[in-house]
Amino acid sequence: MKIAAFLPELLRHLFRKPATVDYPFRKLKVPAGFRGTPFLHPELCIACRACERDCPAEAIEITSVGDVEKKFKMVINNDRCIHCAQCVDSCPTTPKKAMDMDAEFEIAAFDRHDLKAEWIFVRAVQKPRAAEPKPAPAEK
Amino acid sequence: MKVTIPIGPQHPALKEPISLRMTVDGEVIQDADIRLGYNHRGIEKLAEEKTWVQNIYLTERICGICSHSHATCYVQGVEKLMEIEAPRRGQYIRYLVSELERVHSHLLWLGIAGHEAGFDSFFMYTWRDREIVMDLLEIVSGNRVHYAINTLGGVRRDVDETQRAKILGSLDALRKRTEYYLMIGANEPSFVGRLSRVGYLSKEDAVALCAVGPTARASGVAQDVRKDDPYGIYGEVPFEVCTADTCDVLGRTVVRVKELLQSYNIIEFLMKNLPEGPIAVKAPRKAKPNEVVSRYEAPRGENMHYIKSNGTDKPERLKVRAPTLANYAATVKMLKNGFIADIPLIFAAIDPCICCAERTVEVIDARSGEERTFLFSELRRMACKRFEKFSQKRNAAWPF
Amino acid sequence: MAVLRTILYLLVYPGVIFLFVYSTFAEWFDRKVYARLQNRMGPTHTGRWGLLQPIADFVKLMSKEDIVPERADKRLFTLLPIFGLAIVSTAGLLLPVWNFDLAAPGFTSFPGDIIVLLYLLSLPTLIFFLAGWSSTSFFSTIGATRVLTMFFGYEVPLFLSVLSPALLAGSWRLAEIARFYQQKPFLILPNLLGFVVALIAVQAKLERTPFDIPHAETEVVGGTFTEYSGKKLAFFRLMTDVEMVVSAGLLATVFLGGFPGGALLGFAQFVAKTLAVIFFLTLMRALTSRIRVDQVVSFSWRYLAPLAVLQLLIVILIKGFLS
Repeated sequence: MKIAAFLPELLRHLFRKPATVDYPFRKLKVPAGFRGTPFLHPELCIACRACERDCPAEAIEITSVGDVEKKFKMVINNDRCIHCAQCVDSCPTTPKKAMDMDAEFEIAAFDRHDLKAEWIFVRAVQKPRAAEPKPAPAEK
Repeated sequence: MKVTIPIGPQHPALKEPISLRMTVDGEVIQDADIRLGYNHRGIEKLAEEKTWVQNIYLTERICGICSHSHATCYVQGVEKLMEIEAPRRGQYIRYLVSELERVHSHLLWLGIAGHEAGFDSFFMYTWRDREIVMDLLEIVSGNRVHYAINTLGGVRRDVDETQRAKILGSLDALRKRTEYYLMIGANEPSFVGRLSRVGYLSKEDAVALCAVGPTARASGVAQDVRKDDPYGIYGEVPFEVCTADTCDVLGRTVVRVKELLQSYNIIEFLMKNLPEGPIAVKAPRKAKPNEVVSRYEAPRGENMHYIKSNGTDKPERLKVRAPTLANYAATVKMLKNGFIADIPLIFAAIDPCICCAERTVEVIDARSGEERTFLFSELRRMACKRFEKFSQKRNAAWPF
Repeated sequence: MAVLRTILYLLVYPGVIFLFVYSTFAEWFDRKVYARLQNRMGPTHTGRWGLLQPIADFVKLMSKEDIVPERADKRLFTLLPIFGLAIVSTAGLLLPVWNFDLAAPGFTSFPGDIIVLLYLLSLPTLIFFLAGWSSTSFFSTIGATRVLTMFFGYEVPLFLSVLSPALLAGSWRLAEIARFYQQKPFLILPNLLGFVVALIAVQAKLERTPFDIPHAETEVVGGTFTEYSGKKLAFFRLMTDVEMVVSAGLLATVFLGGFPGGALLGFAQFVAKTLAVIFFLTLMRALTSRIRVDQVVSFSWRYLAPLAVLQLLIVILIKGFLS
């Protein structure tokens, strides 16, 4: 057993920069793919309600505000959101998903109701899958 | 003179509320009584109201440190119920995150052991090196805690070349630091003096009291679910079960450090032999009526989930037996004939994750001191009867 | 005129205000070095480089609610912090900081003042015991008994090791001891063993790791200070800081040759030497983990006391050699 086995390491650290990041004066960059806050691309949403069904925290509410013009309102309650990105996974639109996740995590607010995000949009039409090309009409 | 001192529910040594009532004679503990239930959140009931997919995130939040253990144990069970099997690449990524979680949990425990023993410099260093692992987990899964990388039928995210290179590159730094901690842990006289011959649990007691995880392995019981009942890809990954024979807290420390080194080998194997292919298969919405028991080796020991399905898209029953619950009986045995000064270390040596272990509610009559366990239906009946007496509360407005 | 000067000595320098400012500075130094050893930042944002952090902690504690337990002895409970602070401040007055001229010494330098200083420094232990005892809560009682148990361990080595250089110098007066070692600096070397023993014993007296069992947070919540809050806790914390400065000053006087050179240079030497001693105390704090109270007593009697006796033997031999 050595006395003061720790000592050289300790003294070495006196001359090194601290490992602490002086938040909030200096901030670290989050890596790509970081799960921050969910948001909607309203022009792509087809209002299939898959995200509303699959959200574990019941944070997404989709209501219809105009039946004729097919207008929908989506409210994401960011105070209930657990940042799991299941809504992004469940979203079926191709090629780009309507639900997306950004890297914002500093969303603290004093009032729970300030954390709601709302979108009113007209339901997009899902692009039909690339069908077999119709046989060319027989040339007269 | 016998005195009963309460450690908890609120105490600086405990990170979570639990009540340990010790009967002491001077500085020696004669008896210990563990009371649970302060962290009960009703997770098993809530799981019956949520779909199979939503429950992945619910089980993940049983615990913060071993979140992936609970989610993976659950997903393994549900995949058996739905009769689907995750593809090999998906399984490799899933158990890569498992081993990374084991590394982060053991480094966290080393820091906590240092802090409980008063060795704060060791605590700061191990947690600083744990940041390497947390950054790796953030890159792979998108979050530092609650990785949510599992989905029914595989994983949600893939590991690309840069991430693979980064993981392999960080292993060297981690190995060097872990070997340094092994040297410090074995050679710093005040630290060893606090840890050795403390919390003695003989091999026979460890088997008789059903201890699991490093608590049992430090008493020489070579028990590891990954070897005894291999799940996932552990049948093909080479590793050893780490044991020690000192049967005390020092043995538990040594077992955890050895497991760290084994985990680095497993991670290296997984990353070097990552197979090609899809990462997930599509899972059905509903599961046929059946029941399954899923076992998993969490950093703290053997984690068991019992899941019963009834043909709908929600489970009929989910029962969680976390490893810390299995270690409580062994803890009482270890506390007897110990010193008061050793209570935090003995308790910390089982790596208590109290929120994992809270599944029942006990009601103690304050006047007579007797205890009863209530069924939920009984509690509901009692609450309705009481409610009828206070009619003005029927129109109370909920604050939110 | 003399009365005014005395009042100035007692209140401003080197009295209460100087001790307050310097001990908060010493606490800042301790916390900053401890943090840097652990690769952290330490106090940074309160005042430049975090210098005002200990004062901010003191002001915060003074403004908090003061709760006295129901079954506690109220008068004893309230008076103990004030007594403690008064005792260590008086001990601080005995340091030869401004007694730089033996021809015209202040009224606080007299033959035997090293014994008075050591006695005044051993009173805080009793104050801690009484504080824990009068709190009547279970954790305080355990902390109080541990304070006394440790007392039986470190007090004898501390006295023996501090009195060895005094033996070599042939005087019981701090100013004379300091002057002796200023004139013969190479005689500091035989006392190095005593310096190490005294450092460890002082660490135990100040109840810092590895000897912080009496108020170990993870074991007995707060030990002797469990029930203290508000102004009383602020005074206790200030008392431990002043005790650290006074002990460091004592060690610097007796082992490192005092603070010669007049008012300004002497003051600079005081700061430099006490900070050097506090640096060693902080290094010890970061280096080890806490040991149990029975291990403290066995360690003291198995290693510290024999080494202190050995130092005494060395001093006696050298004294015989020199004469």
